[in-house]
Amino acid sequence: MQAVGIRNRWIWSARILFLLPVALLFFFFFIYPFFFTVFTSFTSWRGIGAMKFNGIKNYTKLITDPTFQKALRNNIVWALSQGLIQVPLACLVAMILVRKPFGWRGLRTIYYLPNVISTVALAMVWVAIYNVDGPLNAILSGLFGMEKHNWLGNPDTALFAVIFQTVIYIGYFMIVLLASAMNIPRSLYEAAEIDGASTLVQEINITLPMLRGTLITTMTLAMAYGMRHFEATFLMTGGGPAYATTTMGIDLYLKMDALRYSEASTSGVFLIIMGTLVITLLRKLFGSSDPMSEMAQ
Amino acid sequence: MKHSPTSIIGNTLKWILLISLLALALLPLLWLLVSSLRTNLELQTDPFGWPQKFQWVNYANALAMASLPRLLLNSVFVAVVTVVLNSLVTSMGSFILAREHFKGRDVIYTILTAGVLVPVISFMVPYFSMITRSGLYNTLLALILVYTAVNIPVSIFLVTAFMKSIPKELEEAAIMDGCGFFKRFSMIILPLSRSGIVTAATFCFIYSWNEFVMAMLLTSSVESRTIQLGIKFFSSQFITDYSSMYAAVIITIIPSILGYVFLHDKIIGGLTTGGVKG
Amino acid sequence: MKNSRLIAVLLLLCLLSPLAAQGQAESGQQKEIELRWASIWVGNDSKAPAVEALVKEFNTKNAGKIKVVIEPQPDYNAYEQKVRTSLAAGQAPADIFTIKFNPTTATFYQSDLLMDFQGKLDDAWKSTFDAGSLEQSTVDGMLKSLPMETAILPIWYNMDALKSVGVNTIPATVQQMYDTFDKLKAAGIAPTSQMTGDTNAWTSMIWFSHFAVSLGGPNVWDKPFTDPAFVEAAKLIKKMIQEYSTADAVGLGAGGSGGHFLAGRTAVFSNGPWYAGRADLAATPFFDSIKIGGLPAVGEYEDIMISRLQANICAASSKDAAKEQAIVSFLKFLTSPSSIAKIAETSGAMFAIKTDYRPVNNLQKQFYDVNAAASTTAFDLEAALGSEVTLEFAQQLGALALDRISAEEFCALVDRKIEH
Repeated sequence: MQAVGIRNRWIWSARILFLLPVALLFFFFFIYPFFFTVFTSFTSWRGIGAMKFNGIKNYTKLITDPTFQKALRNNIVWALSQGLIQVPLACLVAMILVRKPFGWRGLRTIYYLPNVISTVALAMVWVAIYNVDGPLNAILSGLFGMEKHNWLGNPDTALFAVIFQTVIYIGYFMIVLLASAMNIPRSLYEAAEIDGASTLVQEINITLPMLRGTLITTMTLAMAYGMRHFEATFLMTGGGPAYATTTMGIDLYLKMDALRYSEASTSGVFLIIMGTLVITLLRKLFGSSDPMSEMAQ
Repeated sequence: MKHSPTSIIGNTLKWILLISLLALALLPLLWLLVSSLRTNLELQTDPFGWPQKFQWVNYANALAMASLPRLLLNSVFVAVVTVVLNSLVTSMGSFILAREHFKGRDVIYTILTAGVLVPVISFMVPYFSMITRSGLYNTLLALILVYTAVNIPVSIFLVTAFMKSIPKELEEAAIMDGCGFFKRFSMIILPLSRSGIVTAATFCFIYSWNEFVMAMLLTSSVESRTIQLGIKFFSSQFITDYSSMYAAVIITIIPSILGYVFLHDKIIGGLTTGGVKG
Repeated sequence: MKNSRLIAVLLLLCLLSPLAAQGQAESGQQKEIELRWASIWVGNDSKAPAVEALVKEFNTKNAGKIKVVIEPQPDYNAYEQKVRTSLAAGQAPADIFTIKFNPTTATFYQSDLLMDFQGKLDDAWKSTFDAGSLEQSTVDGMLKSLPMETAILPIWYNMDALKSVGVNTIPATVQQMYDTFDKLKAAGIAPTSQMTGDTNAWTSMIWFSHFAVSLGGPNVWDKPFTDPAFVEAAKLIKKMIQEYSTADAVGLGAGGSGGHFLAGRTAVFSNGPWYAGRADLAATPFFDSIKIGGLPAVGEYEDIMISRLQANICAASSKDAAKEQAIVSFLKFLTSPSSIAKIAETSGAMFAIKTDYRPVNNLQKQFYDVNAAASTTAFDLEAALGSEVTLEFAQQLGALALDRISAEEFCALVDRKIEH
């Protein structure tokens, strides 16, 4: 009995030891600032001067602000686009590349390159591409006789223009899915090949089920990025025109710029709560009983 | 290899997809390259043109950047140490979250990964406050700590998922063979989740290499500044020397590409037959 | 074992990390006072060489007693963030730093972290400053920043383009202006550069400011934004964007707006004196025929030039009297007419300190002449109302230009952001 007791304590020490570094770093750089943020969201603080308690006024102001409502809607569109378009696209490419077609190494590197380049440069290129006299319009009007559109300057097209520019760059999610796909034992495919299954059938019956866990993980991550989206839009449209492309992240950033720290904190807290809600909801909707935890049980 | 009509259509579609994505992915890099060889006037007036004359002087300007070697060294140091620290800390934590069972495990996991949703920009004031009050202002260590911490949620998220996918039987077999806690970690789980760890490490490396906002906020002198700040010297309040800046960007992309290729090709590259044997 | 190897590597790195902890240089214990200046006038900025030379000169003269160390802040947006963040965290960003003075940054005066120059400005020093600028920089009796760089925001005319359609002088009346614009349009040149993008719709914001002060007088900014002067100005700027500018004006940024002008695609532009020093501008074929001036008066107020405080210099307050004295001594040196003249010479910037300097370069000379000739000046919208209001202005300007909202609605939306 005593041996078991000692062993249990020992296991617990090991567990704590292993969790401690993560916990410490997380505490200082996430937990403490989060409480700071929550605290200031209940005050009226303009950066300078005292923090005066303000109750939930900031929150009511935020929820009733049509600009913020627009931002929230945009974020949901972002989450859905990244989770349900970008990630499946990345998965498709990963499934193709794992079979090592000609030039797969180069392709794998090049697909990730846009993520390596600074987002500022990326945004500049696409602003130029989307310009009224830019190459996109040149191609569309030259080949299809379409009218020249001001893609980023039109509230109706701006959001989708920015989303398109993000969604086609699948590199980030692709390498996660590729890493996971490469872990699938070749023997399964060889057996299927012998049974005469076509590539398509193999993909559907072997790869997809094996990738399910990673796919759900990646989709969740993508949706989280969608909910906190900020940079690409800010660089390309600044949130406009007329707040058409604004997001909660942009709203927060602009409030900090204006020294409205309390209101920025409110946006931040709201973003985190909303984000968690939306992601949990979407995961339930798209059926994510986590098979991984079952396997590891 | 089958050559049925469906597989030909399938193949064609496959290659159309691959090549269109390839073109889109190469576009920004090619544009940067071409732009780095043009003059600022050309860039301002016609963003998509071809250089009238190749302006190699832009690269001379970029290479003449003040303290370029020191800045590059700092960036490499920060990125490498951040990746090592983050990978270590994450592997250890993920091991507990993925392979150990105890009450509260899922709560801890949820809290840690909820960090992915946090817009780190909103934490600038507390970060600044902490870093300056602990005397770490204007040090590389400050950047290392911040970058390591900020990447924890994503890294934990990824590595835990990879660790969870290792079949229980392997661990049970190891325990039968007398493997204790540490051996389970280092001999079984760690090697088998290698691709997950390296993937998270890649993201961490690229993040550290490209990060700029915190670096500007928390440092003030060349000894602790990174290359991204060096690139900013081509901009000022009113004017940006874009062509030289793009040349500098091209120069600094090379190490990050090398870092990515090294991490992926060399470390994952060996996994051509998959990880699970038997 | 992989585990122990990893731990060994980590320990090694930990041992090396003290190398990483550079921290602030410990100056010798000789009571040499070190002043840190978080300076944006570094690198590519036109004022950088002169400023750095002046700092060197000061350090040499005061060797052993005071040393000014420049902390370069190359990215302006990140610099502004740093100032805000450090003040919010309870610290001054450095011993010396600059701000763009407007209602938003004026709130910094409420902080104890800034040195109040009110008590430190003796008459001799005070007289070197332009009185109007000093007054504008004073809030509630506090003078926690000294005006340094100023700017006028005139309208720029590409006379080559105008001459090509038979117009030889800057339009003096509104009718002449529209005639000129129509002629330019007929010749395939977009008359004006306009933009609604970035966080301040910069070019169009300047045009709007010219309209507004002409319609409502130099103090129009004190009126509510729903005032008829602003509504009329909104209608005019809408007309400019819709009929007399490029097709991409909505959502366009400052780079695009300037690019059109540089490429000769537009003929009339607007910007501050800093733009005059650009190498790419000097490389244009029409550089020598650029004329700057005001717009014809669209309202009853004439001859008003738009002018603003571009950079004010602040200092951290300190309990150490010797340090404060050192700061004052450096700032006196920096803002002395001879120092300012040196900076103006090599940068073409304009200052709130009176000097004898007159530029020789044609375009820069025009700036000084126009500034000197202006009998009345007024702020632009951003300088008068702050960044938040300007952001709303920029965002809604796109909607206005696309006819999604009326001029009245536009003004009402902007008005909501103004704190009354």
